[in-house]
Formats: sequence, C-alpha cells, structure tokens
Amino acid sequence: MESEIRKIHKQLRSGSISCTGLVNQKIKELEESPNNTANYLLAEYALERAAKVDRKLSEGEKIGLLEGIPFGVKDVYLLQGCNASGSSAILKGYIAPYTATAIQKLMDAGAIPVVKENCDSFGHGSSNENSAFGPARNALNEDLVPGGSSGGSAVNVAKGHTVFSIGGDTGGSIRQPAGFNRVYGLKPTYGRISRYGLMAYASSTDCVGPISKSLEDIRLLLNTMSGPDGHDQTTIASSGIPADIFSEEFPGKGFKLGYYKSFIENEHLDPGIRKNFLELIIRLKQQGLRVKQMDFFNTDVLVSTYYTLAMAETASNLARLDGMNYGERMTADTLKEGYALTRSVHFTEETKRRIVGGNQVLSLGHAEEIYLKARALRSQITGAFNRDFKEVDLIISPVSPGPPPKIGSSLDHPLEMYLSDAYTVGFSLGGLPTLTSPVGTETGIQITAPKNQEQVIFKFAKYLTGII
Amino acid sequence: MPLDLLSSIKGASSSEAVTELFSVIKKAVPENTKEGTQQPEKESVISVENLRSDEVKECPEIEKEIIRANFPKEKNGYLVVPKVIDD
Repeated sequence: MESEIRKIHKQLRSGSISCTGLVNQKIKELEESPNNTANYLLAEYALERAAKVDRKLSEGEKIGLLEGIPFGVKDVYLLQGCNASGSSAILKGYIAPYTATAIQKLMDAGAIPVVKENCDSFGHGSSNENSAFGPARNALNEDLVPGGSSGGSAVNVAKGHTVFSIGGDTGGSIRQPAGFNRVYGLKPTYGRISRYGLMAYASSTDCVGPISKSLEDIRLLLNTMSGPDGHDQTTIASSGIPADIFSEEFPGKGFKLGYYKSFIENEHLDPGIRKNFLELIIRLKQQGLRVKQMDFFNTDVLVSTYYTLAMAETASNLARLDGMNYGERMTADTLKEGYALTRSVHFTEETKRRIVGGNQVLSLGHAEEIYLKARALRSQITGAFNRDFKEVDLIISPVSPGPPPKIGSSLDHPLEMYLSDAYTVGFSLGGLPTLTSPVGTETGIQITAPKNQEQVIFKFAKYLTGII
Repeated sequence: MPLDLLSSIKGASSSEAVTELFSVIKKAVPENTKEGTQQPEKESVISVENLRSDEVKECPEIEKEIIRANFPKEKNGYLVVPKVIDD
C-alpha cells in the first residue's frame, strides 16, 4: 500500500484538505468508534497544533513530510501535560511531566498526537482485555480481541482512525496485534529507539515501534525516531534506511531464508496457519530462494524464559507504584498497609500475577534455580540466533499459533495466553529487529534479521508483497 | 519473606500458570559452556566510555509544577505522606 503519510502530505499542500479538518475528522472517528481504542482524546492539544499548520500553509510556507499528520500513542508513553495511565487504575489521574523521546522526535517533525490508546495494563497481556478501560475490539471482527498489548494502536491504524500509531513491544506487543488486525508492525533492534518516557515493563526487552498500513511509512517513522539518547544509556547509533530501498532489485535467487522446525511442529499451531505458512515456503523456493528448516528451542522454553525474566523485571519496575508520590493512594493505619492496600485495589489480576511471580523468582532459594537459569538460557538463545544468522539472511515465522480468540475466552486462562506468545518472545530475548507483515497467513508472518539489519527486512517485505 | 510482603499485595500467592512456566525452567539444562553462549552477555554490556556525564541537570519549572500537581495529597506545596514508619 502506498504511503499514507505522503498521500496526506500532498493533500495538505494542495489545499484539498485542511489540517484542522483532518484532525477533527480523526477525533470524531475515535469518539464514535465501537472498538474502545481511545483512553484519552487529545482534541484541544491536537487542534491547537493543527491550526498552526493551517496558518503556515495559508501563508505559503513549506511544511515537512510529517507536519500535520495525526497519530496515535499507546497509553504507556508520556506526553507532557497529558494523561498517562498505562491503562491502569492506579495512574488514571496521572499527568505526564515530560514527553517521551520517541514521541518528541515525531512532534519535532510536526506530527500531531490525537489519542492515548487503549492497551493491556502496563503491557501485561496479549489480548487488550487486561485494561482499566475495558477491552478494545478487533478491527475486522468486533467480537474478537485485537491482540495485545498494543491492541488499541493496531485497531486505530487498521480502521484509519490514526494515520500511524506508536506501540510498545516487550514480548510481541506490537507484532501480534499488528497480525490480528492485518497491518504492519515493527519491533526494531533493541536500543535503536530510546525508551525514555515509556513506562518500563521489562527494561531488557522493551522496544518502541511504529504500526502502519504502509511499509514506506514504517521506514519513515523508524528513521525519525531512531538514534542515541542521553536519557537512555541502552540506545545505539544506527544508519537511516534510505528512501530507495524499495526500488532496489531484490537478490531473489541465492537469498537465504530460515524457518524453525519447532515452531511449525508446535502442536498448538492452528492447522490453517501451518498450511499457509508451508505454502509460502514452497512459493519462496519456487522463486529460487534458498529456504532452510532449522533446529531451535522448543516454544515452551522460549515462553518460560521470557516470562521468568519479564516478571522479575516488572516486579522491580512497578515497585515504585505505591501511591505515595503520584497515582491513586489508599490510606491505611500504617505506611506498609497503605502500600499494600493501594496496590491490591488498583492493580489488575494479571499485573499482580506477574509482580508476585517476579518476586518469587528473585527471592532467596528461587533465584539460582529459576532466575539465573533463565538468564543462562537467554544467553544460549541469543548465541543460537548468532549462529543461525551465519547461515541465513533472514528468519521467517508465523506471528501467532492461532487466530484472534473471542473477547472473554482467554482471560481466565493465563497459561494459554502466555503460550500464545510462542513465536514472538524469542526474538525479543535476542533483541532482534522483527516485522509483522500482514501477508502469508491469517495473522501475517514475522520477518527477523540480525541486529541493525532492518534494511534487509524492508527489502524482503516489499518483495513478498510482489509475489503473494 | 512471604510473597504478599515482598510484593506489597494483600493475599499474594504463587499462581498455577506461573508455577507451570517455572517448572519448564527448572527442567531445562542450559549449555553454559557451549561455544558462543558467553558472547551475548558481552554484547549487552554498555561501555564505560559511553556513559552520560555525571552532573546534576535542573528540571524545567513546568515539570516541577506537574510533579507537584500529581501529589496524591498535598499541603502548602508539600507532599503529605503517612506519619508512621513502623520499622
């Protein structure tokens, strides 16, 4: 699909639409949407900025490519002066004191945030049902979950309520909802985009990333948000992806792709998704690509390693939420009693489950048996990726074992929800760039490259759209 | 220390789903000595040459105002906290 950003930019420049009209239209769509994707609408904030863009245009001034483009922000990012709840009850009245670096970079380029989007509370979930704002609904079928945790963001993009949205991906939270709503979603290389101003879930895998209907827009947004940031010591330098990447000829014959046997032989994989994935493999081989089936860890090891580490990190990160300095406070006779009451009442069951699990693995006696072992497994998983990428250029895989479930059907089965992340969490542990492309299977496919090789993903994703 | 105290969550106890995940880890045998497994740990280390300068930076006034506005309980511009710290 052509770039939505470029299309709207042309319309704004030609005067066929006004920025104020565009922003008003998006706000109205979000307000009236039955999909429950908006935690907070930023009408006044956005319209003020839109008026400035219209003024510039009326005075004949040039505008930048992103100037006046309305976008959505997952409600785990801080935007100065606006609500930032993390879709949790404990932060429902919280106002962000500063703006996240990634969002600031988009705003510096002129893009206009119009909505703080519904998501699983603190990113804890794969269905967007674990939210203090109620579940968001799938863009293609409102009876189904939109995926999570960035469910509201993916739905808004799919329905055109935002031109693009910025999600957050810790173990698949951009890629899985992108697949469930048939749009593109990129988890970049860990550290490529600053996490400053993103509410921390599991800091060692948390990533900022764009969701869009257009591959070109994903490229533009990645380039805009990337770069080192003094506020986030894990950020890395990276080169921009050039605009002509999509016009370069794809090598085709001789290009080496890998896919994991354990992913395809997983007994929980939906037969339709397996069939479509294997048909894609055959198609790619017919095109002359060298496709190799590779051995890898079983998905239960990947899921368990990820959740052990993520729970340990979230237990530490969310310890700050006690109602003392900000957020909702419940008063009690003693300080400790106040902490416990505040956290017990305001955290969701899933958030509590993860905090308790995290404290369990970090406690004396369990740390060696579980936490340190999970860290060793992570090292081993990362080592395996390094070896695999000596043999292949990219790895492709399904996004999810099954199609989106019905709303309400998975909330009482946390283990099933954890296992549904089987195909996304491994790449998070490796810090690898992975794109969900909405082609190939019912929930799309994932394309994974070595660290900082996003340009190879873009080339292959474009090639795929030409052969499917 | 009991999980409810560690987590500051009333009645906290381990869940069946999470225990199931941990049992997979307990059974797994990481190959710590296998070639290539030590390298990733080195990759994730941040160089001391690249740390930000160790200096205090004044927070903009607007941030201070919002931080104060976020106080759950406030009196004369100060954050009110419970009086009793029992141990």
